[in-house]
Amino acid sequence: MLRIIVPIKQVPDMSQVKFDTEEGRVDRSSAAAEINPFDLNALEAAVQIKEKLGGIITTISMGPRQAESALRDALSRGADDTVLLTDRAFAGADTLATSYTLASAIRKLGEFDLIICGEKTVDGDTGQVGPQIAEHLGIPHVAYVSKLEEVGEKLVVVCEMEGERYLIESDFPVLIAVTKDINTPRLPSLRGKLNARKAEIKTWGAEELSSIAEKGRFGTQGSPTRVHRITIPAEEGRKGRIFRDTSDEAIEEITNALYRYKG
Amino acid sequence: MMNVEKLREIVGNDWVITKREQMERYLVDETAPGVRPKPADNVVVVKPANTSEIARILKLANIDKTPVFVRGGGTGLCGGAVPTLDGIVLSMERLDKIEEVDKDNLMIVAEAGVTLESMLKAVEEAGLFFPPHPGDEGAQVGGLVACNAGGTRAVKYGVIRNYVKGLEAVLPTGEIINLGGKLLKNNQGLDLMHLLIHSEGILGVITKVILRLYPRVASSGTLVISYDNRHDAIDSVPKILQSGVIPLAIEYVERDEIETSARYLNMKWPATKGKAYLMVILTGANDDEVYSQGEQVSDICEQCNAVDILIAETGEEQSRILKMRSELYSSMKEQYADILDVTVPPASVGVFMDRVDEIAKRFNTNIPNYGHAADGNLHSHLLADLQDKGIVRQVKREIYQEALKLGGVITGEHGIGVIRIPDLDLCPDGKMWELMRGIKRLFDPNNILNPGVGLLG
Repeated sequence: MLRIIVPIKQVPDMSQVKFDTEEGRVDRSSAAAEINPFDLNALEAAVQIKEKLGGIITTISMGPRQAESALRDALSRGADDTVLLTDRAFAGADTLATSYTLASAIRKLGEFDLIICGEKTVDGDTGQVGPQIAEHLGIPHVAYVSKLEEVGEKLVVVCEMEGERYLIESDFPVLIAVTKDINTPRLPSLRGKLNARKAEIKTWGAEELSSIAEKGRFGTQGSPTRVHRITIPAEEGRKGRIFRDTSDEAIEEITNALYRYKG
Repeated sequence: MMNVEKLREIVGNDWVITKREQMERYLVDETAPGVRPKPADNVVVVKPANTSEIARILKLANIDKTPVFVRGGGTGLCGGAVPTLDGIVLSMERLDKIEEVDKDNLMIVAEAGVTLESMLKAVEEAGLFFPPHPGDEGAQVGGLVACNAGGTRAVKYGVIRNYVKGLEAVLPTGEIINLGGKLLKNNQGLDLMHLLIHSEGILGVITKVILRLYPRVASSGTLVISYDNRHDAIDSVPKILQSGVIPLAIEYVERDEIETSARYLNMKWPATKGKAYLMVILTGANDDEVYSQGEQVSDICEQCNAVDILIAETGEEQSRILKMRSELYSSMKEQYADILDVTVPPASVGVFMDRVDEIAKRFNTNIPNYGHAADGNLHSHLLADLQDKGIVRQVKREIYQEALKLGGVITGEHGIGVIRIPDLDLCPDGKMWELMRGIKRLFDPNNILNPGVGLLG
């Protein structure tokens, strides 16, 4: 029976969220919060393994108290247990402090076989937290996993990076970060969801992690990087151009444009 | 006959197309190919920039008695935008400005050529909500109003007609009229605005519309309810509505059809159990309200033998389900001879479907159905093999007769257009069509605007 851990993050619904272009920030109040879509693929991968081989899935998340709803959603989608890491001391964390905090909590949870993350979050878009967790824990990791070939004595996965496909084999315990191609996450049942809404969510603060972690490595204090400014690039709209007398010029322009955007 | 040089003077040289190879996409719409009308040979496409250019074009056409076919997004399903006579295709695509999203009055003022997609985007950016979703987002707002589009999400707040508060139109004789305004009450004279809504473009060219908006819903969820048996699904619908829960949408689909649409979109239909489904969109002021409605709906559906109830909550998951439903028609239209649009009183949907089954049995075919279950509006699909046997029309007319017997109509949202004119003889005649023809003559004495569309005789 595999012990699987799925770290998740609550993010704003990016199809609705508004950007404050002047201030250079995301206006989180403008959109509903939901589980990071890539994390749903991670959770679905875990549930499929559990259905095949048996297992226990624990989801963990670091965030404000409201992130409980993301963990409840995870329970309705097949997770068995959840932990919310919430504390003022965790606030303002960059990817290093975030991965350190999550890794510390995973250590506290005890032994595990597999950690499955989404490839990145849709609000941060760094793709760093998963692999960093593996580094903190001293275990191997494979990022951009698009297929699980074998989950048995060993783990064999397909990783897609920079236009190439790699078949990678690893021992357990291991961390993988999965892409959207790995599966289509199923919908939770309404009954499951109604039950999960009443579930108690276990929460840990800095104090609970103090025996295995250094408090100075949490939150702002543990973050060597700072975001100074976020620029939101202006969207380029559709453009029309009329070629009047000759079609040759138009054909050349279109061909060039196609080459240019092919990259 | 057509005066191309004068048209060029009005709109400028760049906006008149006379070469056939450059106008192919202006000659068809989304009507099922089996019944789509053939375009005429001698057609000019004109793309005016504003209302006054349209007024000048119509004045000219009225003098020359040239037929004018108004074209929005070309997403219509009854051949209404196809130029069936030699004449002008008047494309509204350049009237694409959103004049105002009025947050105080909760209304949007948009030119007719604005697409549903860009209107929805502007409305969302303003933090507001436009509830109906008539399907293809390439549709233009002028067309939505001229055809009184329906679609999903019409259960709670109604079809497009319920949202139109004002419009500007050019009459076939070239005069510009303004009807209604940013008003929720207006009893000043006969309601000509509602006459133009769903006039299928035969009374005037709608150039600008004022539509009502709603505050954005704080929380929503889409239920996918699975049944082994169609009757159980259909029986649930009136019970849901009687319970006091008024969903934004209640849609009925069957497995084969929705999976075809899913494959067409490279998506996956989320339900694995059952073969008949209700898709129910719930909205509320917060998650608790949505879940309490969800619980009520699920109690009702479980009593009606639902085998599984899933919920989509994230924006992406909900929009994928809506997309699979909205693109059903596009995914299937090539395989079918005709797709019907019958509407019966909502409580008669089950009886109507049984009668369609009996007809299918008699003609040794299969007639899948899907549609807006709570609106009584069903799309029955006639397979291409009926066309090979030459009996499409016969089967269709039998279905129409059953609908009419139940107090229904042969079209609930797609409209008459060109393709349903031959079957209007089945519909109650008397004074009704005579009055409609009289109104058409009053607006368009020379019958230049969308001739051959929407009216019997």
